Amino acid sequence: MSELLTHGEQELRDAAAMAVELAARHGVSARASASNDGFAKIEMQAGEVQTAERSGSQSLSLTVYRSGQRGSASAATFDRDAIERVVTEAVLIADHVQPDADAGMAPPEWLAFEGPQPHMFAHGRRDTETLMASAGQLDQAAIAVATASKGALRVGQSVAIGSEGIWALATSDGFCRSSRTSNDGRWCVMLAQDESGSTSDYWQSQERSPETLLQPEEIARRAAERVLSARGARSVRSSRHPVLFDARTSATLVDELAGTLTGTTQYRRMSFLVEPMGRAICASHIDLTEDPFEPLGLASGGFDSEGIAGTTRSIISGGICDGLFLSAFSARKLGMAPTGNADGFFNLRFTSAVDGGDWQAMLQRLGTGLVVTALEGGSTDPASGNWTHAVRGLWVEGGAIVHAVTDVTLGGSMPAMLNGIVAVGSGVERQGAIRTGPILIDEMQIGGSA
Amino acid sequence: MNGGEIAVAHVRDRLLAPAHVDEAVIGRALGELAGGGADIADLYFEVTSVRSWRLEGGRVTNGSFSMRQGVGARAAHGAAVNFAHSADVREQPLLDIVRAVRTLARHGDADRHPRGVELNRRASAHSLYLPADTAAVEDAAAWIALLERIDQTARAADPRIVRIDANVRAFDSGILFASADGEIAADIRPLTILSMMVVAEQNQKRARGQAGIGKRAGFPAFDIASVDAMVATAVRMALHNLEAVPAPTGEMPVVLGPGYPGVLFHEAVGHGLEGDHHRKRLSAFDGKVGQRIAAPGVTVIDDGGLPGRLGSLGMDDEGTAPSRTVLVEDGILTGLMQDRLNAGLMNQRSTGNGRRQSYADLPLPRMTNTFLANGTHDPADIIASIDRGIYATEFDGGQVDIVTGRFNFTTIEAWLVEKGKLVAPVQGATLIGVGHEALQHISMIGNDLSFDTGMATCSKQGQSLNVSVGQPSVRIDRMTVGGQAN
Repeated sequence: MSELLTHGEQELRDAAAMAVELAARHGVSARASASNDGFAKIEMQAGEVQTAERSGSQSLSLTVYRSGQRGSASAATFDRDAIERVVTEAVLIADHVQPDADAGMAPPEWLAFEGPQPHMFAHGRRDTETLMASAGQLDQAAIAVATASKGALRVGQSVAIGSEGIWALATSDGFCRSSRTSNDGRWCVMLAQDESGSTSDYWQSQERSPETLLQPEEIARRAAERVLSARGARSVRSSRHPVLFDARTSATLVDELAGTLTGTTQYRRMSFLVEPMGRAICASHIDLTEDPFEPLGLASGGFDSEGIAGTTRSIISGGICDGLFLSAFSARKLGMAPTGNADGFFNLRFTSAVDGGDWQAMLQRLGTGLVVTALEGGSTDPASGNWTHAVRGLWVEGGAIVHAVTDVTLGGSMPAMLNGIVAVGSGVERQGAIRTGPILIDEMQIGGSA
Repeated sequence: MNGGEIAVAHVRDRLLAPAHVDEAVIGRALGELAGGGADIADLYFEVTSVRSWRLEGGRVTNGSFSMRQGVGARAAHGAAVNFAHSADVREQPLLDIVRAVRTLARHGDADRHPRGVELNRRASAHSLYLPADTAAVEDAAAWIALLERIDQTARAADPRIVRIDANVRAFDSGILFASADGEIAADIRPLTILSMMVVAEQNQKRARGQAGIGKRAGFPAFDIASVDAMVATAVRMALHNLEAVPAPTGEMPVVLGPGYPGVLFHEAVGHGLEGDHHRKRLSAFDGKVGQRIAAPGVTVIDDGGLPGRLGSLGMDDEGTAPSRTVLVEDGILTGLMQDRLNAGLMNQRSTGNGRRQSYADLPLPRMTNTFLANGTHDPADIIASIDRGIYATEFDGGQVDIVTGRFNFTTIEAWLVEKGKLVAPVQGATLIGVGHEALQHISMIGNDLSFDTGMATCSKQGQSLNVSVGQPSVRIDRMTVGGQAN
């Protein structure tokens, strides 16, 4: 057994199955999940360990249904007394609430009793000694980059983290499956000094296997590159110009687009794209696809927390919405079929039929305008789509970078921004569930004080 | 009363006794934890129940109950902190995490204190908030009736309100802190958050409004008048936003209304004055203590002992009593907020700001109730003084970059002001500034100090906590406002 975990897959399946069985004695149908997660994390700075952490957590969650009434309860232990208390509490809640005809178990014909489970676990050393060594190597790489910069850079923090988890799901229809996951992360924070003070930036590598992580020298180099490019940043005049989001910030836009296509957002009408199915919601050259089964994908899964499998499918095709992210409940609310997305979306790929080309080509396409490299805060109104953020980036004229930019705001409306996408660049990066290249938008409102 | 032996007994009965852990076991664990010459060695036990009820579509159709418990063990050698935690608090798992901490610290079995620590420094009681069985299922019918009333009141308020979601989350938490210095301190922390969101629709346009009330008390503290006021706020905000025009963009004077807009001082001043950022020399305020950073008249305070505010704690999560820290006094930067680790390393005293999200998180220097003190201006005169600018009364949170001091926050209820009059509601706009510059532009401070309604939270290094923010109305002469319009 892993040294990060305290329970095995069979134990968790047994705990979940016991909760379902005890619930059945109260005449309710039920769904139970049991999970055990553990991580080790080392933070280093300038050759010294700042924080060393070992974490273990576990949870048993139960949802029961009886004639449209439902109740949920959870506990942090798997012993029988705790599970009995969870059952009692969940049933008590179901007794108190009003029925909702759309609340209920997913129909058994939808459940993934069998079917593929993507690899979400990779063997690898995640003990604290190994992580201590990894964080140390990253720290040394960062120190080397800072030294070579002749005082332009300071080392912030170097972090190594390894985690493993097991999750089991059982339902009163006899579904009982489990999955195992692993995650490895390394990141490095660098600081740069200029006349106006310090600024910081980071680079992160996140994978399901330590084998595929970026080399420490590469992480440090990229963190340094980002923070060096932000030196000498200043504001610009308020204006309307095209805007190029780099791949990292583009992932946030894709996340907001996908978020508004989730079932809960849709049936609550808390969406800037209501009733989007079959409608043009993006520029006509945009596609968005979902793949739950990518081996070692950061958002892969064989089934969701209702036991329903996702499918490899199109969400947006040629700018037209042809899929939503639905649970059994939200699907019933919308009169649609569930899609296995009770826990959100699986791996997404945002692409364009217009080949935007590499970074230099995208800068040429931008011409004169703003490159966004960091979203520093702000808000996207889920109901109106009003999009307003504080950003950092680069000012570009004639396809050439003129200076770094800070102290500016950027405003727009999500529906208009999605329709205004001119191209997506080929420099694709993965941020968690999302893969996208840089996104170029025709025009947005830039606010500045220059 | 709360704290003291009352709270120790509460945690003992709820968590320790069922796990067969007593003070002797805790003392032995601390003895091991402190081995190897740790400067700080402590244990933090927590037992929390959370009950929620959720209303949607006019009915309460969903509820949940969750139970969380565990213990975190920390040992610090200088600035190096080692930490492990477990959901199982029985003696063996407790000793396992203590050994994990020692292994992390690479101190093996050397220098153990086999006889353990005697817990003879016991905290005194407090009455900032009283124990309350907030998560009791007996309150279910009352909460459900109140949520249904919220729905009916909001629906009746305006036909354009098409969607109402409301929920209540009640936390019943007991925590116990014990250190190798022989301290033992506990606290019972009730917390109830009632919140709602509405959607208004007209002519294919949609807008949202939101409001909430948070209290360190249970159902009886939620009177009808304040709940009705909450509903009125959410409805008003949604209708305001339904008619809102795109916000202007560029530099202009800004008036911030009283209460939650005090998040400005939380972001622009507070975070930059947390001890950890200063010890690591990361803060934009590094080296500026004693210097003028704001206009005269600007006094900003963090006070963890204010009755009725959610940032108040009978003791912080390191057993330290709350205190009043003047961060900025009449424009001069004066104080830092400290936890034990950073205070110790900087040769200062903890200010009672050591807080953590749960037993599974390390304590950090965090804010409590942070506010701008009253000035002398009539709020109406402040708005009347604006030729063209923005008046903002509600915000959707905020953020700050500690290193650069750059902060931002986004309005969810604001107006365009022309010639001293509110002329049109405007959509959300992001307001940006740099902490040590923006505060120089404060030119008028109102006499109407108030606080948020108990909904303010603060996130730092992935840990979210309840805080409170407050201010009187203020005029800032120059700020960059970012909307959709030019």
